[in-house]
Amino acid sequence: MLRGGGRGAAAVLRGAAAGGRAASGGQGRDPDPGQGSGSARPQPLEPSLLRFLVCPLSKRPLRYEEATNELINEELGIAYPVIDGIPNMIPEAARTTQKKPPAEGLKQP
Amino acid sequence: MAAAGLCPCRALLARCGGALRVLCGSVRGLATGPEMHFGFQTVTEAERREKINQVFDSVAKKYDIMNDSMTLGIHRVWKDILMHKMNPSPGTLLLDVAGGTGDIAFRFINYVRSAQERQLQQKLKHHQNLSWQEISESYQEGKFKPLGDSQVVVCDINKEMLKVGKQKAQHLGYSEGLSWVLGNAEELPFDDDKFDVYTIAFGIRNVTRIDLALQEAYRVLKPGGRFLCLEFSHVSSPLLSRLYDLYSFQVIPVLGEVIAGDWKSYQYLVESIRRFPPQEELKAMIEDAGFLKVDYQNLNSGIVAIHSGFKL
Repeated sequence: MLRGGGRGAAAVLRGAAAGGRAASGGQGRDPDPGQGSGSARPQPLEPSLLRFLVCPLSKRPLRYEEATNELINEELGIAYPVIDGIPNMIPEAARTTQKKPPAEGLKQP
Repeated sequence: MAAAGLCPCRALLARCGGALRVLCGSVRGLATGPEMHFGFQTVTEAERREKINQVFDSVAKKYDIMNDSMTLGIHRVWKDILMHKMNPSPGTLLLDVAGGTGDIAFRFINYVRSAQERQLQQKLKHHQNLSWQEISESYQEGKFKPLGDSQVVVCDINKEMLKVGKQKAQHLGYSEGLSWVLGNAEELPFDDDKFDVYTIAFGIRNVTRIDLALQEAYRVLKPGGRFLCLEFSHVSSPLLSRLYDLYSFQVIPVLGEVIAGDWKSYQYLVESIRRFPPQEELKAMIEDAGFLKVDYQNLNSGIVAIHSGFKL
């Protein structure tokens, strides 16, 4: 019963997150309605987490890129990977998405 | 000719000098980098992080068994007391930092689940004359909100600990209202003013910059939010202190070797407990981060202490 309710709640949250993403304007990505629960692809990020997660360096919001399963900070040009459904928010683990190095240093003082 | 003879020598010397300078520089760097303790050793900040990472990579799979053996199961009571002190109501947003294997998170979910059930029962008790419509509605409500919108985010810096935690969650059937994030307590990937409660149980001892972690805790808590820290602390009674030392240094590393095949990690554990600031000092550090009404509660005569503060 709990699991059924959970799936229902998750679907609602996914819809809400998708609506939120569209409303915030991002890059105008269409939410993927058929987001599989990790059938052949690596486990996607739980949508409820997007409410809380920001870039640990700049504390600015992130964009979830479903294709590469990464959380992208456009300003700094870095992407945090999501491994097994767990986002890796350690700055050292992030990769740069641009050719030039990001403005802020990635190394912890 | 003499110049020619000298030149290669000078060039060689210059190169040697350069190499020596680099070597000296690196040695100097090693020596003059911020010195920190790793248990009773003195290491640089970077080394400490790496060593602690290795410790937890190594102990992750046996973490729970070791906890039970070392504390004779008493750690469960400590964590239960922490949860009772927190007394979360349904709808609470909890951030559990260094929460690796999920002990606090699972307790939180159990607690709010039963609180929610109790609330529902109370509500039904007060409505004696319900129509069938109302009754069916109340059941539906219960179905979709067993946790009442409560949520816990478990944040840990070690991948192995999170993996173990996630597996445990699947095993025990925890899925709703629970999320896992790999993050650094000194640099939390969360926005300001987000969480109702922040807990760090047996984790703050392993943080390299405790002041930064406390500042981050303050930042991510909502105004009115509560900071709770459960950690090994200092025993004041000399007799108990001696027994405790005996147990810590003679028994625990041996248990570590026998059960987890890892003496060194558990040696680090007991040393790090001795190095950790005592109750009053930690209280001052928490106050420095901006928390108010900071207080602590000793458990088992100070073997463990729960520190609490509010963001007001």
